[in-house]
Amino acid sequence: MSQVLDEIEGCVPALRRYARALTHDPDRADDLVQDCLERAIRKRGLWRPSGSVRSWMFRILLNVHRNDLRRARRAPMPLSLDDAMPGNEPAGPDVQPGRLALAETARAMQALPDEQREVLLLVAVEEMSYAEAAAVLSIPVGTLMSRLARARAALRGLTETGAPKLRSVK
Amino acid sequence: MNREERKIPEHDLHAYADGALDGPARAAVEAYLADNPAIADEVEGWKRQNETLRALYGHRAAEPVPPRLNVRRLERESRIATTRWSRMAAAAVLLLGVGTAAGWYGRDLLASAGPVQAALGDETLVDEAMQAHRVYSGEVVHPVEVWAGEKDHLRAWLSKRLARPLNVPDLRAGGFTLVGGRLLPAANGPAAQFMYEDNTGRRVTLYIIPAKEGRETSFRYASLDRLEAFFWTDEAISCALVGDLPRDKLQEIATQAYKQLG
Repeated sequence: MSQVLDEIEGCVPALRRYARALTHDPDRADDLVQDCLERAIRKRGLWRPSGSVRSWMFRILLNVHRNDLRRARRAPMPLSLDDAMPGNEPAGPDVQPGRLALAETARAMQALPDEQREVLLLVAVEEMSYAEAAAVLSIPVGTLMSRLARARAALRGLTETGAPKLRSVK
Repeated sequence: MNREERKIPEHDLHAYADGALDGPARAAVEAYLADNPAIADEVEGWKRQNETLRALYGHRAAEPVPPRLNVRRLERESRIATTRWSRMAAAAVLLLGVGTAAGWYGRDLLASAGPVQAALGDETLVDEAMQAHRVYSGEVVHPVEVWAGEKDHLRAWLSKRLARPLNVPDLRAGGFTLVGGRLLPAANGPAAQFMYEDNTGRRVTLYIIPAKEGRETSFRYASLDRLEAFFWTDEAISCALVGDLPRDKLQEIATQAYKQLG
């Protein structure tokens, strides 16, 4: 039991990163992680080692997030573009892509459909294998791949970041 | 690689961009990309996207974890109280008192906390729960089918009929002891009702129907003809606690019931 708690604890940094990327709001992200942790702690007796604790935690986080979205949709909050920017969040030391590219990508990520954003972040930022990401989302790997492809194409369409100097035509 | 050779599946191109290929598979993709500059550009773009996304979000994981996300502490607290739900419950009641509150969160709670004004499914739940309460809470001789003395049997029986594990919450901390329970017909199948009473004979009933796994709602409140209900959905059941009690008292009991059912 206590070992599961250790493993849950080990997931917290990645959960915060994912929640922050999903919500683009540091406070809401930590609310989300807290809800996820409380839920996992409450349900840890139900956890069976059929998959990794990490997949399980991400699955819970996504469920909580989707519930929040459903609630928010019923009473939408106007989100200003300023909120969408990384703003005063430092992007970390010596990052390669320029600040403009980051801001542009941040905006573009918010414009992606939820299901595409969820997939792309699991693969690109959490660096999960396709199989694990598919397990987190409870979808077949084929579905994951097509969402990933659409997410990448959409992100590229929305930014210059993903595009080479000359836009290539197939 | 010449034109006659078959195309590399898109799956492999993504796997290559994500660094998930090695050995011959990786070499095959590299050879293919060398001959197909347009596709190579696209794959290069995906790699850049990955880098940009990691630069954008990666640092978050390196930040110190704030105390409120300390797992040991949360675990301790979970044994005492503080769940998301009880925070929301407190907010719901507070907002009802205040009347108009700003913020989408408050609006959501207000919108769903009006007198039986929730979604259709919730309306049915509360209607049925209140109806069942009216019919049975006044019964003197047969308020329940199975009395509290056979609590284990009651739990096993109703768990079986609702096809999910049910606890019979212990509400004595709020001054209410179990009278017993019964099985009832609901709109979409069986429902369970547990009845409790305090030492002045006031009764509350807890009405439970199966719900779809994974659905979870906020904690809501409805009142109709002197009866009040707190209702919620969690852990594959929808529940309504009904009684003719002051709202804060009913909420306190509902909180206990929720924790023991969850």
